[in-house]
Amino acid sequence: MSVKIPYVNIGGQHAAIKSELLEAVGRVIDSGQFVLGEEVSEFERRFAQICGVRFAAAVNSGTDALILALRALGIGSCDEVITVPNSFVASTTCIALVGAKPVFVDVREDCNMDPAKLEDAITSRTKAILVVHLTGRPADMDPIIEVAKARKLHVVEDCAQAVLAEYKGKRVGSFGVIGCFSLHPLKTLNACGDGGVLTTNDGALYERLKVLRNVGLRSRDECVVWSSHSRLDSVQAAILLVKMSHVNVWTEKRCANAAFYQRSLADVRGLQVPTDQPFEKAVYHTFVVQADRRDELKEYLTSQGVETAIHYPVPIHLQEVAVGLGYGPGSFPVTERQARRILSLPVYPELTQTDLDYIADAVREFCRR
Amino acid sequence: MRVSFSYLDRQFADVDAYLGDIEELVKTGDFTLGKSLEEFERRFAQVCKMPYAIGVASGTDALMLSLKVLGVGPSDEVITTPATFIATVGAIVNTGARPVFVDSEDGFVIDPSKLEAAITSRTKAIVPVHYTGNVADMPEIMTIARRHSLFVVEDACQAIGASLNGQPVGSWGETACFSLHPLKNLNVWGDGGVIVTRSPELAEKIRLYRNHGLINRDEAIMFGHNSRLDTLQAVIGNRLIEQFEFITKQRISNARRYDEALSELSSFIRIPRRRPGVRHVYHLYIVRAERRDELLTHLSRRSIEAKVHYPIPVHLQKAATYLGYKEGDFPVSEEDSRTVITLPAHQHLAQEQIDYTIEQVRSFYLK
Repeated sequence: MSVKIPYVNIGGQHAAIKSELLEAVGRVIDSGQFVLGEEVSEFERRFAQICGVRFAAAVNSGTDALILALRALGIGSCDEVITVPNSFVASTTCIALVGAKPVFVDVREDCNMDPAKLEDAITSRTKAILVVHLTGRPADMDPIIEVAKARKLHVVEDCAQAVLAEYKGKRVGSFGVIGCFSLHPLKTLNACGDGGVLTTNDGALYERLKVLRNVGLRSRDECVVWSSHSRLDSVQAAILLVKMSHVNVWTEKRCANAAFYQRSLADVRGLQVPTDQPFEKAVYHTFVVQADRRDELKEYLTSQGVETAIHYPVPIHLQEVAVGLGYGPGSFPVTERQARRILSLPVYPELTQTDLDYIADAVREFCRR
Repeated sequence: MRVSFSYLDRQFADVDAYLGDIEELVKTGDFTLGKSLEEFERRFAQVCKMPYAIGVASGTDALMLSLKVLGVGPSDEVITTPATFIATVGAIVNTGARPVFVDSEDGFVIDPSKLEAAITSRTKAIVPVHYTGNVADMPEIMTIARRHSLFVVEDACQAIGASLNGQPVGSWGETACFSLHPLKNLNVWGDGGVIVTRSPELAEKIRLYRNHGLINRDEAIMFGHNSRLDTLQAVIGNRLIEQFEFITKQRISNARRYDEALSELSSFIRIPRRRPGVRHVYHLYIVRAERRDELLTHLSRRSIEAKVHYPIPVHLQKAATYLGYKEGDFPVSEEDSRTVITLPAHQHLAQEQIDYTIEQVRSFYLK
């Protein structure tokens, strides 16, 4: 019998909580309140709580969260925002879409922003640093915040992959002036559709975000700024409230799966597993190994029934869309090298020990050859 | 008797069927794009008699995405009317363009006779709004747009199913934008929108633009948005679209009943001009009323949920300050903001509820 281990398994997650989910959807139907309202407020309250911040504002997607964050900070044309080139394209897109110029700095071995390279990227036009906690691992926030403070720049955190991740005992989303989360179906806390949420400790910013996500309305009839609609559907908020009571357990299971890989793949030749610093808690949205013969390894695992993914094979500065930004091959050597070496192994909570053993064995078997 | 404005609690006579569909979807885990959305898009296109329909996150996003794929941006001007929900303007401003207003005519739609005076060398597009479910004078607007080489994006957010001489809204402009917001004639259970177009190139571009500009999983060729109609909402839409003809007919017949009865109160109530050939779908049933605010209170005391769409005209909103408009610039829209009242006309109202509403309006003026 052939083994088949998919890269993601949302169905597995939902099978266990199906009746809870349908009950939550039923509750929204009974209320007839499909836009904002109680479910969304309750979700925001609890989300702020788990991030250790005062306020959370739920929006239509993680991308919208980033766009609205920059807009709320008044960032626009003629401004520059610094970010990394090894993320999902949305963390650069948001900068371009508000009219600002994305400026990249390279990453370190942990796939996160290299704080040592920040200073060189700052110009008189720089307004903000958009830090990405890629793979669910917190970026090295202390030196980043130090630079930002010295140069009077905003720090916006892209926490799309990092709900519950911690740096020196503090949750991500609580370091910058705003944190932006995605609730996309493939994220560790996931809606059954698109969704996003912003976190902040700044009351005035929070009020601005709520106006911006709701076509600029301060009340039913008064519009104070032109804007679009970007609200988390109440149905999705209800679904997320169900999942929030499970997300700790799910996250711990992910971390346990990651720890298993780290142990069993630690000494494999030609393979590098991610390691955790004592002061950080990574939540392993993705478990990304680096392999000398990545493409062959991927092919081999596929032939063994193990589906893997690459996050991401084309660095953003080498995308067709980035042509106008003036970068090219060689601009960011660490990112470019990683793009050729990285491979994401399945790490979701529903994997069984048999699955994990099978995957680890297959990886070891390939690397022995 | 209670006459409510919203009817969402009435949509669920057969809630199990919807939940069954949702359960099926949850099993698949297929929550973005995918089959159910494609089916909904196909059926929506059919309703509009157009080749392409693309589901997006909201009606506002539909407008913004349309303008952006047409290349509208900073230093451009886009003409619309102050007789609309503010989102029309929010969408224009989000592209970086400057909104320019043209007053409305008696039926709450843009007045084509005032259009040419607003066109400048920077004008890039016209966004006529089929406000309330009425149809703007599209043949006239298209003639002017072609003469000046301007794009036309129809804001049909309130007008699904409306037509002019049998031609459905959405079939004139480069694109047309619809809202599926819970209070719309065809709704889903959250925010949602649809763009229709007859251009395969625009359809392709919009599909890219709503999905991060990705041509495949890994390659982005433009900086795009994330603006997709949730698959879960498409599942709901696929059921509700079957009721859509019934909904439209019910609303039209409710509106006719109001028109007939209220025309007898012509010294107090002014019914907007019903242009021949227009199939008005009455997302909002709006008339102009003497002593509007008193009437509103009178009705509300009698449990009739009337509303005002809207008491502040768009060009006089605080957000519009930088545009430099002032009171007196758009007399029709301004007068409307002082006199309009919206009576409940949705498909779930019983005849007695409409008659009761009419009776209460009558008693307010005649007793």
